[in-house]
Amino acid sequence: MTELHNYTLNFGPQHPAAHGVLRLVLETEGEVIRRADPHIGLLHRATEKLAESKPYNQSIGYMDRLDYVSMMCNEHGYVLALEKLLGITPPVRAQYIRVMFDEITRLLNHLLWLGAHALDIGAMAVFLYAFREREDLLDCYEAVSGARMHATYYRPGGVYRDLPNKMPQYTPSAWRSEKETREMNEKRQGSLLDFIQAFCEAFPQRVDEYETLLTDNRIWKQRTVDIGVVTAERALQLGFTGPMLRGSGVAWDLRKKQPYEVYADLDFAIPVGKNGDCYDRYLVRVEEMRQSNHIILQCIDWLRKNPGPVILEDAKVVPPPRAVMKESMEALIHHFKLFTEGYTIPAGEAYAAVEHPKGEFGVYLVSDGANKPYRLKIRPAGFSHLAALDEMSRGHMIADVVSILSSQDIVFGEIDR
Amino acid sequence: MRSLKEIVKSFMLWELLVGLKLTGRYVLSKKITIQYPEETTPISPRFRGLHALRRYPNGEERCIACKLCEAVCPALAITIESAPREDGSRRTTRYDIDLFKCIYCGFCEESCPVDSIVETHWSQYHFEHRGENIMTKPMLLAIGDRYEAEIAKARAEDAPYR
Amino acid sequence: MIDLLIALVWIVLKILLIALPLLGAVAYMTLAERKILAYAHVRIGPNRVGFAGLLQPLADGLKLFFKEIIIPSKANPVVFVLAPIVSFATAAAAWAVIPFDEGWVLANVNAGLLYVLALTSLGVYGILMAGWSSNSKYALFGAMRSAAQVVSYEIAMGFALVGVLMAADSTNLQDIVLRQQGGLWHWYWLPLLPLFVVYWISGVAETNRAPFDMAEGEAEIVAGFHVEYSGMSFAIFFLAEYANMILISALASVLFLGGWLSPFEGIPVLGSLFSFVPGIIWFFAKMAFFLFLYVWLRATLPRYRYDQIMYLGWKVLIPVTIVWIVVTGLLIEWRVAPWFI
Repeated sequence: MTELHNYTLNFGPQHPAAHGVLRLVLETEGEVIRRADPHIGLLHRATEKLAESKPYNQSIGYMDRLDYVSMMCNEHGYVLALEKLLGITPPVRAQYIRVMFDEITRLLNHLLWLGAHALDIGAMAVFLYAFREREDLLDCYEAVSGARMHATYYRPGGVYRDLPNKMPQYTPSAWRSEKETREMNEKRQGSLLDFIQAFCEAFPQRVDEYETLLTDNRIWKQRTVDIGVVTAERALQLGFTGPMLRGSGVAWDLRKKQPYEVYADLDFAIPVGKNGDCYDRYLVRVEEMRQSNHIILQCIDWLRKNPGPVILEDAKVVPPPRAVMKESMEALIHHFKLFTEGYTIPAGEAYAAVEHPKGEFGVYLVSDGANKPYRLKIRPAGFSHLAALDEMSRGHMIADVVSILSSQDIVFGEIDR
Repeated sequence: MRSLKEIVKSFMLWELLVGLKLTGRYVLSKKITIQYPEETTPISPRFRGLHALRRYPNGEERCIACKLCEAVCPALAITIESAPREDGSRRTTRYDIDLFKCIYCGFCEESCPVDSIVETHWSQYHFEHRGENIMTKPMLLAIGDRYEAEIAKARAEDAPYR
Repeated sequence: MIDLLIALVWIVLKILLIALPLLGAVAYMTLAERKILAYAHVRIGPNRVGFAGLLQPLADGLKLFFKEIIIPSKANPVVFVLAPIVSFATAAAAWAVIPFDEGWVLANVNAGLLYVLALTSLGVYGILMAGWSSNSKYALFGAMRSAAQVVSYEIAMGFALVGVLMAADSTNLQDIVLRQQGGLWHWYWLPLLPLFVVYWISGVAETNRAPFDMAEGEAEIVAGFHVEYSGMSFAIFFLAEYANMILISALASVLFLGGWLSPFEGIPVLGSLFSFVPGIIWFFAKMAFFLFLYVWLRATLPRYRYDQIMYLGWKVLIPVTIVWIVVTGLLIEWRVAPWFI
């Protein structure tokens, strides 16, 4: 008589799915999961400890690399915490630029998420189409900061540089004629704002395309409806935030409930799901993409009409502009002090959270009066989501674990830090 | 209870055919592939690529060994040693950037008071031997000499924003 | 004696005439798949090896040829090496009864349809042998799933072919094509439309292609039953899969789209305009359409979960075929023109 026992499967650290390094040990009974045990820490880079040995501004680049698909939102969380402790507020134009780039970051994140989620479930086309959109958005990042991904653009007091007036152009080559190049450069003839506007005007149609391929598709629905259901109450108990929480029916969004920067002045809606399954979370995120598009258009409008400074002139925190630094003795001394020692923050602690595309990204900063933090604690959104993977996947099949994991939008940079 | 229209659509695999039509349209549309290496995507003047040490128009190297870049580098990638030169001016004897440590954040360029250390547009470099990741001062000056025209143009374009 | 020898030589020549182009077609099908997938994904596929990537299959073939064939330590070496051979042999042997044009068939067997069904069923053995002899959890898992999937969809496919059998009153593939003479509307895809769709879906599921590729395209199973194969043995599995794809396309053209018949047959002006096109070209065109459809489906649709594939095969496709067989019976009984006069 054959003996039946549970089959332990190792979803090893190397994933075909685009989530990073996760070792998931699954105990299955046939195809049904009895227990899912995530082993994390394979991407731990000691970010919080490193921050304790660096002046505050030098950690901004590390914040980029936490959730490496939504860079500027991480920076935003950190910079808000610094500003809270310093007691400064950036100029309004800087706030609008930050909000605009936060929403661009939200689009970047959701596009990658959609592509990866669809790819895991088998629909490859959406992946490539989403990356085509991401290319344009990464070009925006590059135009404003110089780097396509890890921008290091936000600073306490505002943002480093204003938006450029010109966009880089394609050049003709052996493969591309003059005429084709001119067509490709059509959107790049104006400033960055013109480019983003052209993108946002074409974007809703693109989202419609993704929805055509997925939303009504019977195979997609069979793979995501009633998979990984989390009730509203349980979601709150597990510490979910962001689309995971909104997919379960709880209308909680930091941009509306605890508005920061200029979100209170902008007009947008928060999509909320009903059943708390993977399909609802998918719908919530797709609708968030459309709402982000709307927000970006409002910001572009405002930014066009209101030129101004993009960073505070507080010389104790913000380095002076280069032209002034080269002429004025005081400015030079401030420049030197800020780039060697950095600014000091009065002793105290602050928690600042932003509505990160994945949920609530919080930074808890404890300062003891020095130029480096005493303790920097990062509250990633994905940590509680991954912790709930066990509960969400019990009773489902192995193929569903992939759906649930990718629906949670896990990026290991922020889980392991 | 589903309407008759929905039942008919379901049997006809309607939404699957609509999806197929979309990808079918794309089969015939213009492709977005950039044929690297003959073409590259356009980069802005703010692009943060390989580092270079610049010179003044008269040929004198700009770097005065103030060590601001070394102090501000988050990854501690820059190592500097300095000594007075024969003509009495303050110069570096050693200026190394370890490209494996560098995170290409651009802080060194921000901090330099004399516009000496810059990040160029150049990103297509590679190493062939162990140890080539350490860019020494002569290597950095050579890159600066090679790309001075593009560097100056990019800085001039970006100057109003800094 | 001499006649026998000449006949033998002639048969061997015919076999080579089918087998060698088949191998070439399979190789270039891999390139076609990559290019069409790429085009549907708004990018260009391989285009550096040779002009427009045309030498890519050669490069891939060379690479696989030079790779080491690793036999796992506790695997059964005989079965391990035999499995891909069985898979490819059955896929290739079924080509013996496919008519390329009037009279151009290697073996004009009266039970052609039955022969093809039998050989595709034998192909399951290759999968099972591979999964079992690999001595690996994942391979066994994948092989079991794959085998169950193939066997289930065999039934749906068989029922769909029963409809064709009823309509054509013969299992000889050449006769089936000849009964569809008369132009586009005389082909069997119209009266047997649901059976056509079921046949096509079953064909896609039989060859383990998207959206039914759970057994080989998912995170946990990695590569299904051929996870332990490398080098030439893997290449043969690959060839077997593509040969099966081309076989299903050929059968779909023969059974439902009139094989080598011109679609303009019987139409006054167009018929004579296109009469110079040899039948084999029409046949290839129809096969090409189906192969394009294979890749198009892969580019667009998500994957079904395994139990959903089983549900679809047993509880959806088979009832549809049974209902439509009854309808076909009625159509034949009432001699509905223009197919069943």
